[in-house]
Amino acid sequence: MSNPPDQANSLPAPGADMQHYVSDAPFDPYEAENAASAQSKYAQASQLQLMWWKFRKHKMALYCGVFLLIMYGSIIISEFLAPYSQGARNTDFIYAPPQAVHLFHDGKLVGPFVYGRTQVLDMDTLQRIYTDDPTDVQQLRFFCEGDDYMFWGLIPGNTHLVCPAKDGQFFLLGTDRLGRDVLSRIIYGARISLTIGILGVTMSFILGIVIGGLAGYHGGWFDAVTQRVIEVLQSIPSIPLWMALAAIIPVTWSPILVYIGITVILGLLDWTGLARGVRSKLLALREEDYVLAARLMGAGSGRIIGRHMIPGFMSHLIASATLTIPGMILGETALSFLGIGLRAPISSWGILLTEARSVNIIALYPWLMFPVIPVILVILAFNFLGDGLRDAADPYT
Amino acid sequence: MITRRTALTLLASVALPSITFAEAPYFATDVRLGNLPPLPERLPRNPRVIDMPALGRTTGRYSGSMRMLISGQRDIRLIPIYSYARLVGYDADLKLVTDLLASFEAVDDRIYTLRLREGHRWSDGSPFTAEDFRYCWDDMMNNAELYRGGPPVDLIADGKVVEFSVIDPLTVRYTFASPMPDFLPKLAAPLPLILFVPQAYMKQFHASYQTPEKLAELVEVNRVDDWQSLHAKMVRSIRPENPDLPTLEAWRPRTAPPAEQFVFERNPYFHRVDQIGQQLPYFDRIVLSVASAEIIPAKTATGESDLQANGISFPDYTLMKQAEKQHPLKVSLWRRTQGSSVSLLPNLNCNDEVWRKLFQDVRMRRALSVAINRKELNKVNFFGLGRESADTVLPESQLYRPEYASAWAQYDPDLANALLDELGLAERGGGNIRILPDGRQAGIVVETSGESNLEVDVLELIADHMRDVGIAIYIRSTQRDVFRSRAMGGEVQMAVWQGLDNAVPTADMSPDGLAPTSSDQLQWPVWGTWYMSGETAGKAPDLPEAVQLIDLLQQWRKSTTTEQRTEIWAQMLTLWADQVFSIGTVNSAPQPIVRAARMRNVPEDALYGFTPTSFLGAYMPDTFYNARE
Repeated sequence: MSNPPDQANSLPAPGADMQHYVSDAPFDPYEAENAASAQSKYAQASQLQLMWWKFRKHKMALYCGVFLLIMYGSIIISEFLAPYSQGARNTDFIYAPPQAVHLFHDGKLVGPFVYGRTQVLDMDTLQRIYTDDPTDVQQLRFFCEGDDYMFWGLIPGNTHLVCPAKDGQFFLLGTDRLGRDVLSRIIYGARISLTIGILGVTMSFILGIVIGGLAGYHGGWFDAVTQRVIEVLQSIPSIPLWMALAAIIPVTWSPILVYIGITVILGLLDWTGLARGVRSKLLALREEDYVLAARLMGAGSGRIIGRHMIPGFMSHLIASATLTIPGMILGETALSFLGIGLRAPISSWGILLTEARSVNIIALYPWLMFPVIPVILVILAFNFLGDGLRDAADPYT
Repeated sequence: MITRRTALTLLASVALPSITFAEAPYFATDVRLGNLPPLPERLPRNPRVIDMPALGRTTGRYSGSMRMLISGQRDIRLIPIYSYARLVGYDADLKLVTDLLASFEAVDDRIYTLRLREGHRWSDGSPFTAEDFRYCWDDMMNNAELYRGGPPVDLIADGKVVEFSVIDPLTVRYTFASPMPDFLPKLAAPLPLILFVPQAYMKQFHASYQTPEKLAELVEVNRVDDWQSLHAKMVRSIRPENPDLPTLEAWRPRTAPPAEQFVFERNPYFHRVDQIGQQLPYFDRIVLSVASAEIIPAKTATGESDLQANGISFPDYTLMKQAEKQHPLKVSLWRRTQGSSVSLLPNLNCNDEVWRKLFQDVRMRRALSVAINRKELNKVNFFGLGRESADTVLPESQLYRPEYASAWAQYDPDLANALLDELGLAERGGGNIRILPDGRQAGIVVETSGESNLEVDVLELIADHMRDVGIAIYIRSTQRDVFRSRAMGGEVQMAVWQGLDNAVPTADMSPDGLAPTSSDQLQWPVWGTWYMSGETAGKAPDLPEAVQLIDLLQQWRKSTTTEQRTEIWAQMLTLWADQVFSIGTVNSAPQPIVRAARMRNVPEDALYGFTPTSFLGAYMPDTFYNARE
């Protein structure tokens, strides 16, 4: 008999013999021990490891995490990745549409190349019309010498991942009204737009944990005051408040200072939610026995909060941080879009989108809206990542 | 028995025997019901007859509504400028012709005798006579409560106030103590010197004609502080916000702000007719819709405007041209009359001690000027269709000389660097930006009114050019009204504006744009105020060249012949070009004009500017009409 008998239908008649069931699975005399050791693998794994195991199962979050790592990796070497330098302008190629990359020319493999283009001024519509010249094969160069730049503003260099052929052009995503390469500007813009989120979150984290931690642990009047302050801050509509604060930044500040200023503004306004979360967690945790034990052993409140309580909900913090970063990125984009955030010559995705908002662009030069794509992708990736992290944050459930 | 009405009709038919008047259908009902007298009685005895074929235009027909877009409700001021009914006005060839006036006589440019049209009426039907001038002169300009500083400076020649006299009910005379050559051009300006107001209507707001109780009540109802502000509010014709105020323009306002849509309807008493006896304007109504400045090009390109010039600029041309294929509209390119489509105005009166000294030094202004690569600006922003030039008169003007346009307009960064080094700015700091004597970075905040993308685009290129010579440029957009008051207060370091307002002048037009004469001149608003206020406010210019320009302007005022004036213009233009008080970039920039495809009589190629053409005014939008489809 290979199948277990159907118990419900074939109960033996009263007085009849009981039927026998023999499992045909192989017998493993060490099954119990093995099960225990598998459990002990879980039992002995650290919390981080457990989180990783659980996170790994959330494929979407995993891919998004990898994507974000790549994006953040790219901002370290923006200068190298961008085919053109940040300020490069080519007034011979204004509003040039994206160029297609080809591999084969006349049926022969040439490797990645673009066709050279000729510009014709259409004096009737006053439009610049670009046509590919199929005889002019401009082979792309890799790890090549192109526009000069200062790597991180410090080290001069001129090596790029990809450059146009000598005296040629390569605008993968087209150019804008001053003949600047959109792809290069997106790559440089990533540096600003992505770090502003991280820096802002770091700042709001510090504020949130310190203020929320003190409020939750000590309670009393300090708690009451901070709660009211938080309520007031949260009740102010964010965009007008950003606008007011951003207007304070003097126009003569260097772009770097403005960048820091904007980060501070975003961070200053964003700690409230986190502080509340920290406070409520602490209110619950401070009643735990191990906190009482620590206190009895004479630990100060700083040590109790930092060493005993925060690790108890660190996972939650990480998850909420990943969900806050996209808000920051969007905040910067919104501020720059309104023209009160960052300013040229710095380029950020918000600035690029500001330049793309006129009706002319939408009707005639739609490729200038490409910066929307990285914004959407990064925001989505952060959200999926946060989702996965939240699931993984409490590995014991 | 001959009634007054028939008598007038008879007179009219005597004056214009060949014309039989054709009533506009818009008023047909009102005339039939007796609410409005028939057309011959509404017109002056000798209306201004516009001979369309002689002007190279076609005779139109009464048309319905014309839609336009404005960016804010203050832009309803465009309608009196487009309508352009003036005592005298420029025609399409920029010659002065009589419009509201039947005739005028000028003796030695000193004694002006103005003769009105007989039977000319305001839009409410009250007669337009010498009394309207007398009221304006006696009861307004010489009323210490209304005009605290006395009559406006435009009516003061050589320190003496003009002598005004009424010759007969249709004739007035202004006698100046010394020649006043720009008296007529001022009357023909887009914002004219106001010599007359509808007294029959305005008297109810005047303390001399109204009982104090009633006046107090009116003050209360209109929510103003006193009767002076009440009078000022009610009489304002520049921005037609009072629909009850009678007007002589082609269209009268029917909407009081605040509103999102403003309707103007034809003035039943307008004094112009075409040669076949149809009263102008051809369009019965103008409907202005308020739309945000950024949407105006989009709305225009989808055919939501029948005639659009404001709110669209050259970069929108391609979009309009493409829209021609899908919507019944036509776009043509006119040429702008400004001395420069974008010019940089270093504020010689700015509060910042160091910058003020620098800007007052001609080497600084020249250095900034030669640092600009105008060829690139032209290529990038105007398709190379503009002319690279300093801020000066256009070749279309008879006063033009090539050396004005080329003065300090070459691209020469080496020269700019040399000049800046010479000024003591040789030291460079971070980002290779020069260091000011007081240790600050040489960064100039350039303010724009933020109304046109063009200004910002040009500025961005200029910022790059300037960075090459070690000057940082920061761009700040400020709202137009705030901008002016900040400039007055000296808070603006450098402004971006259009160049000379009227760059197609004749020698008989005043050269006051070249000298500090107005607080609107952003390179010297404080000195301009000094002149404008009759030396009571602001500060006297202390820069020799600015003083010299004022002196030359005074000489021009005293001049009596066109030769003298041409000579003075030449001196002023030479000085202006050499001193680079305004850093010009590109001029003769094309301006797209969009109109409904079936609209006729809109010129294909013309000059577009505030002065002298009053935007569209000199081309008489009252003669535009919709052809039958």
